Amino acid sequence: MSVLDFNGTQVQLNEEGFLVEPSIWTEELAAFLALKEEGLEQLTEDHWSVIRFIRGHFLENDSAPMVRAMCKTTGVPLKRIYELFPSGPAKGACKLAGLPKPDGCV
Amino acid sequence: MSDVDELETRLEALTEADFQRGLEVFRSKLKEAEAAFLNACVHCGLCAESCHYYRMDPVLENIPAAKLETIAAVFKRHFTTMGKVAPGLVGARSMDKDMARAWVDAVFGRCSLCGRCSLNCTVGILLPRLFRAARAALGAMGLTPPDLQATVDTALKHGNNMAITREDWVETVQWIEEELQMETGDPEARLPLDKHGAKILFTVNPREPKFFPLSLQASAKVFWAAKEDWTLTADHGWDLTNYGLFNCKDEEAGLITQNLVDAMARLGCETLVIGECGHGFASARWEGEEWLKQGFPFKVMSILELMDEYLRDGRIKVDPAKHPKKVTLHDPCNLVRHGGICEAQRRVLRASAADFVEMTPNREHNFCCGGGGGQLAMGRYKARRLNSGGMKAQQIRDTAAEVVVTPCHNCVDQLGELNKEYKLKVQIKTVAEIVADALVP
Repeated sequence: MSVLDFNGTQVQLNEEGFLVEPSIWTEELAAFLALKEEGLEQLTEDHWSVIRFIRGHFLENDSAPMVRAMCKTTGVPLKRIYELFPSGPAKGACKLAGLPKPDGCV
Repeated sequence: MSDVDELETRLEALTEADFQRGLEVFRSKLKEAEAAFLNACVHCGLCAESCHYYRMDPVLENIPAAKLETIAAVFKRHFTTMGKVAPGLVGARSMDKDMARAWVDAVFGRCSLCGRCSLNCTVGILLPRLFRAARAALGAMGLTPPDLQATVDTALKHGNNMAITREDWVETVQWIEEELQMETGDPEARLPLDKHGAKILFTVNPREPKFFPLSLQASAKVFWAAKEDWTLTADHGWDLTNYGLFNCKDEEAGLITQNLVDAMARLGCETLVIGECGHGFASARWEGEEWLKQGFPFKVMSILELMDEYLRDGRIKVDPAKHPKKVTLHDPCNLVRHGGICEAQRRVLRASAADFVEMTPNREHNFCCGGGGGQLAMGRYKARRLNSGGMKAQQIRDTAAEVVVTPCHNCVDQLGELNKEYKLKVQIKTVAEIVADALVP
């Protein structure tokens, strides 16, 4: 477990850098995590449309969406998703959207 | 509550009945050979240098013989005469909270079940077998790390280890079929679903449809080029993974294997082909019949063997000039050291890439990437996992390769993390992705 200082608030991350408490997520926190955890200095509109879609899907279904749904809904092509999030859709995009780590080989 | 606290809470709550249950399960896993192994270590120390945990962090706890000693001490105390009457003389220790904690740390926290220690053991002790027996005993005491157990539970409940719905799986297969048709320019290119009587049932790792479908598309492109008679299944039995190999609860591993057996029977296929996955191959090819106590009425192959056959028989043609970059190969432990698939991937890569170099050491002597044995599912040990992967990072760096190929999605994931952690600046690909890009008419 580690703790990040985010504008005076203590944000707890688990051993793999995912939020311990997914409900505290905000867009400002996503931008902060992008820099701290993924080394992304600037999030583009494409980043945001993917992150917002994943967050919405999580709030509705309590799970991470298929990458198919990410592409179909946001219009961002598959190969572009991997460029946008160098750690991939799970350890990159889902992490920034404040989801818990998905089960499986990720 | 975090996973770490949860396990500690369970440890504190252990009762005498829990210890007895754990010991019974432990005992049930020990046949003559295992009992002999527990008395056979001559403390030569060769295993220390063979272990990637020890090489990257040379402390006593990381020496395989020391991990084995922790287990053997309990064996002696409870199951040998000398251990019962004079425990102090023979280094015997009772199973209690402290020992249970030490076991968890040794067999879940400092071992990826890669088996390299065993290969280098002077007296040939099969250490992973004993570590698996200890994991099974801990499981019976409720001490399987919760996140590892969650992956098994998800597979048992949903038929795949990422809880992908039938609808989502089918939609992704159809999407990849459209992508393949665009890529090949052939409107007849297919990813067949539930084709009865197809020669081959192909199985994949759920992370492919969920997050990384390009490797599924690559495999499908190879089948298309070879004009293979193949199918996927829409229902349970499309997921090749089996984390029962890692939590070491054989009943659960058997239930997961049953999905594959049922799918083969349902569709009447001849050969079960396991996509690029180390533990999935070892589970289906070598362990599954043992777990289910029945022989399979079908053949089990790795897609690597199949691609090798396609090239040998001229069913596909590749041009290595399409891959001018320097390529190296990582050998997944479960596929190579444990699984016996050693040369097929090399023949395929030499044919498909112009500049292929081996890592040193390689084949069955290769070092684990650090992600095996369920390590990627156990978040609490992430720091150790990445540190132990330093061996692999150095091996990769020494080749000066730009592309690291590995026929295992679990290894792909760990190599991806090592790439970031150690700033390797390499691309990581599966073998099918290399072949698919090198295909020529």
